[in-house]
Amino acid sequence: MQSELKQMLSEAAGAIANCRTANDILNTRAQYLGKKSFLNSLYGRLKELSSEERPAFGALINEARTELETKLSAKEQELKASAWEAKQNTDMDLSLPGLYASRGSLHPIKVIRREIDRIFISMGFEIAEGFEIEDEFHNFDALNTPQDHPSRNLADTFYLENGMLLRTQTSTVQIRVMESHKPPIRIISPGRCYRNDKPDPSHSPVFHQVEALVVDKGISMSDLTDTLQNFATLMFGKGVKTRIRPHFFPFTEPSAEMDISCVVCKGAGCRMCKHSGWLEMGGAGMVDPNVFKAVGIDPEIYSGFAFGLGIDRITLLKYGIPDMRILFENDLRMLKQFRGESL
Amino acid sequence: MKIALNWLKRYIDIRETTSELSDILTFSGIEVEGITELKAMPETVITAKIVFAEPLPKSDHLKICKVSIGSYQLQDSSILDDDGLLQIVCGAPNCASGQMAILALPGTDLGEVKIQSAKLRGVVSHGMLCSEKELGISDDHSGIIVLPEDVCPGLSPNSLYELPDTIFELEITPNRGDLLGYIGIARDLSASLDRELRLPIVNSVPSESDQIGIKLKIDNPELCYRYTARVFDGIEVKPSPLWLKVLLTKAGLRPINNIVDITNYVMLCTGHPLHAFDYELLDREHEGDKWPSIIVRTAEQNEKIKALDGKEYSLREIDLVIADGKKASAIAGVMGGELSGISADTKKIVLESAAFNQTAVRKTSYFHKISTDSSYRFERGVSPQVTDEVSELATSLIVELSSPSEVSPVIDCNYWMNKPMVLGIRPCRFEEIIGYKLSDEEIRTYLERLGLKFIQYGTWIEGQIEDISKVHCHHLEEAKAGKKEFTEAPDCIHSHYYKIPYRRLDLTREIDLIEELARLAGYDRVPHKTAISAVMDQHAYITTNKVEDYLVSRGFFETLSFSFTDPAGISKLEIDTTDVLNLINPQSSNQSVMRNTLLPSLLDNAAYNINRGEKHLKLFESAKTYHKAGAGIREIPSICAIVTGNHKEEHWSVKNEPVSFYHIKGIVSQLCELLGINIEQSAVSKDYLINSTGLSYKHNDIELAYFGKLRPDIAERFSIDTLTLKQDLWVIELKMSELIEVSRNRALTYTDLPRYPSVTRNLSFLLPLQHSYADLSKETLACDPELIEELSVFDEYRSKQIPSGYRSVSIHLFLRDKQKTLTEERIEQVVESVVKKLQEKLQIIMR
Repeated sequence: MQSELKQMLSEAAGAIANCRTANDILNTRAQYLGKKSFLNSLYGRLKELSSEERPAFGALINEARTELETKLSAKEQELKASAWEAKQNTDMDLSLPGLYASRGSLHPIKVIRREIDRIFISMGFEIAEGFEIEDEFHNFDALNTPQDHPSRNLADTFYLENGMLLRTQTSTVQIRVMESHKPPIRIISPGRCYRNDKPDPSHSPVFHQVEALVVDKGISMSDLTDTLQNFATLMFGKGVKTRIRPHFFPFTEPSAEMDISCVVCKGAGCRMCKHSGWLEMGGAGMVDPNVFKAVGIDPEIYSGFAFGLGIDRITLLKYGIPDMRILFENDLRMLKQFRGESL
Repeated sequence: MKIALNWLKRYIDIRETTSELSDILTFSGIEVEGITELKAMPETVITAKIVFAEPLPKSDHLKICKVSIGSYQLQDSSILDDDGLLQIVCGAPNCASGQMAILALPGTDLGEVKIQSAKLRGVVSHGMLCSEKELGISDDHSGIIVLPEDVCPGLSPNSLYELPDTIFELEITPNRGDLLGYIGIARDLSASLDRELRLPIVNSVPSESDQIGIKLKIDNPELCYRYTARVFDGIEVKPSPLWLKVLLTKAGLRPINNIVDITNYVMLCTGHPLHAFDYELLDREHEGDKWPSIIVRTAEQNEKIKALDGKEYSLREIDLVIADGKKASAIAGVMGGELSGISADTKKIVLESAAFNQTAVRKTSYFHKISTDSSYRFERGVSPQVTDEVSELATSLIVELSSPSEVSPVIDCNYWMNKPMVLGIRPCRFEEIIGYKLSDEEIRTYLERLGLKFIQYGTWIEGQIEDISKVHCHHLEEAKAGKKEFTEAPDCIHSHYYKIPYRRLDLTREIDLIEELARLAGYDRVPHKTAISAVMDQHAYITTNKVEDYLVSRGFFETLSFSFTDPAGISKLEIDTTDVLNLINPQSSNQSVMRNTLLPSLLDNAAYNINRGEKHLKLFESAKTYHKAGAGIREIPSICAIVTGNHKEEHWSVKNEPVSFYHIKGIVSQLCELLGINIEQSAVSKDYLINSTGLSYKHNDIELAYFGKLRPDIAERFSIDTLTLKQDLWVIELKMSELIEVSRNRALTYTDLPRYPSVTRNLSFLLPLQHSYADLSKETLACDPELIEELSVFDEYRSKQIPSGYRSVSIHLFLRDKQKTLTEERIEQVVESVVKKLQEKLQIIMR
């Protein structure tokens, strides 16, 4: 019996070695370990042996079974491994480009406009819509602009056939919002503005501004500088400084020009800031009592500040674009550079 | 914590309705978690004396009872027997002759049960003897209520049980240990309602007796600040009077015996837990001691104690115990020991009134997982100031209810430094923190109502004041005279100083006083500082951004062009120019009108880029268009897009294909779907587009969007030669005003996921050319809307092999039953019915 067992084992080892597929493994296992296998029949033949021989031979059968199992599963693993290894393409060129999804971009001005929106929304502002085509009242009169003020000239302002005009600044929205809403008011209003300027590196007849207006009890100039500083920090990063300088606008009193420390040279002086270390950001001030009166808000109870920022100017600054005209050419090679800005 | 309204009324007048009181409690910081109304019993529920009760033959638990109803006048006196008694069959195990019980007569409606005369096992029963559950005062229905014997039969139980009543379930915040009793709640209510608080009158029981006593010692004064003991001899342990049982039952406690009930009663009243030991089970410390000992000490490691819950606890060295001369008799503040518990045979007791360290009690309770009414209160802080007063209240009750022969003097071991706490509060600080001003007078009134004692006005000193004389009192004379106005030196901050009542362990800082003031004055007084003026149209803003972002994600580049344009450009499109606005002072003739369409600028941009070698373009602009509208002007938000060239990004591994109708349709249809808009589609018809090359999208006849191929002759006018380019130029117009309005009130609601699997079946057939996919879809879905979930086309082709007038179509049919898994048989049925219907309606030929 022992020699039969030995012979079976060597035969089985050969069969296992010859297995090529998972199915071969299955058949081999059935043949040598299954119910009808020789090995299994040996258990039945144990009683032919004397009681002294029986335990030793029983152990032998079990050993044989374990040996076959081990060999079979090793072979099975080997076959599985070679199966997927064979499928691998080892001479693939890993440096060929990957497959990109087709993806466009927002216009850089829209990217900056959205960023400004986000910053002000995070500071509790709402976004107000305004008209681009306005009447003289909202663009000039209500903003306390004298009748003979030069900005009303045809050389400065675009007029339409029906006596309307294209707004020259987003401040018109101040009036529109205060006419229709009671304080407290805390809005920004981004949008297109128009001035009769010839296009050049820093001018365009169509440009973008964002207006900010806050009206409430107890609003002071310190709220203005605070808001400006927070905006500048969130827009340009920590370390940027802001300042205001006295100026004149008809609709604010006191009025100011807002500057930020030059984001290019960090205030050291460069071509961008004309070696002053400061960049002009826009106009600001405390809402003039006359403007409040024009919209029926009591300036003795309420006070407020307003400012206007140039979106295009911030866009040029932020991306180092040298000429404002580039923004309106819509060259795909320019637009493609902003894919990552509108994720 | 449960409190009964009727009992609360002993301490304070309550005139409010249940819901008003509930609001007052909740808004003063005592949240009402639940309210149970205990209804008055109907007139047909009366007291009745069980004259005799004996087991009903052939029943193992029923008893036949004869009850007397006194002088009560029955509506139907025929149910009385010859002796004037009523026969009742009762199943309660505790029912016995001689008891005074509560009887619900026939005709009583108890809500869940209606009582009628009935036969049980052939014996007539004229009513039901009630358990506490039927009365609503507890859930206990293990036996009938047994009233004291001195109650007369035939009376309503309502006055005995103080019915009707209302039980409030209150959630007390962990900082307010002082509220864990009726008096605490009443005190806080008296402050919020500005109503008098009626404290219970305690008749003190003086004693000089040297006949009984106890040897009292506190080993760990840092864990037990004070221990007040009193010894009673010759007491009688018996059931409590009914009023006491009712009070405990309504608060959710089980009456046990008069002594234990009194300790619980005092705890419920004052929030101060008490404990009583059987004096005779306490050991002496030394042989020759005159009295047994009570020693408050920490346990020895692994010291064992069997507590009143019957479990044995192995203590740690940090657990505090009340020990006698030899062994631990109670886990301090948590639970008494079983050995020294009060039993029916107890004659002599020690009454404990103590104050333990709250952290120590919390640690012991948490570690050994024992939470009791006592530990709950000690963990939240119990003032050592009043252990003697509380002991006095219990003593007077013990004297009243168990008639002791001898009462010891008060034995008090006190390590508590009775140092009154003085705190200042700045009215200006209140305004800074809370946002409105309270006058000096209001502040004083509110705080004094809480039991704080006003000392004086003064300048500000932070923190707890050790020595009030150090406070500089500005204008003390005016203050004393009660004048409200002060002229202060500019650098001194006007402040009030108050003595804090001992029970308010939570008031240790100025801010705590500010909180109390804000709470009592009512949080509804806190003003809203800013109200948003709601200028912004959030939906319009978000929708516009969404559409722009969507287009970017589909490969479009946003362009930005001037608002004024060349009138010739508009004319090239052959569209209406009557609404165009002219500028008076344009910079040039090709910028002389406000654009009424975004398309010319886009086409100019396309030409510009094609000239620079970019042939595959997806461009859009999001801007306003300007229109004359009668005498006025309209500025309309619009998005226009153009597409030409290949569909995909160039890649070596992918076969590219020019943009097709289905690509553009996919872009626009998916956008409408993402915005949640239901749309109807029809063939587009615009002068500058090739007819029927695109679709118009409508919702309730309002056009939202359209797309189509630009006429090549028009493209050429913009210098785009589509024929040479061999590219189509597609135009997409999105009417943003309409898209915004139509999607405005859309609300997404989650749909439950299907519980059963869906099955897919494929059908291939020839479809006559005159029938569209829309027809096919409509007819198929209509076959069985419950089971046919969806269909999708996976193949469509036309060729010479197919009979003329037909095309080959293959569809997936998705079937699902929402209630169960579909059987093969049912699937076959549905598929057959679909085939049959399509053959009939659309003349399909199965392949």
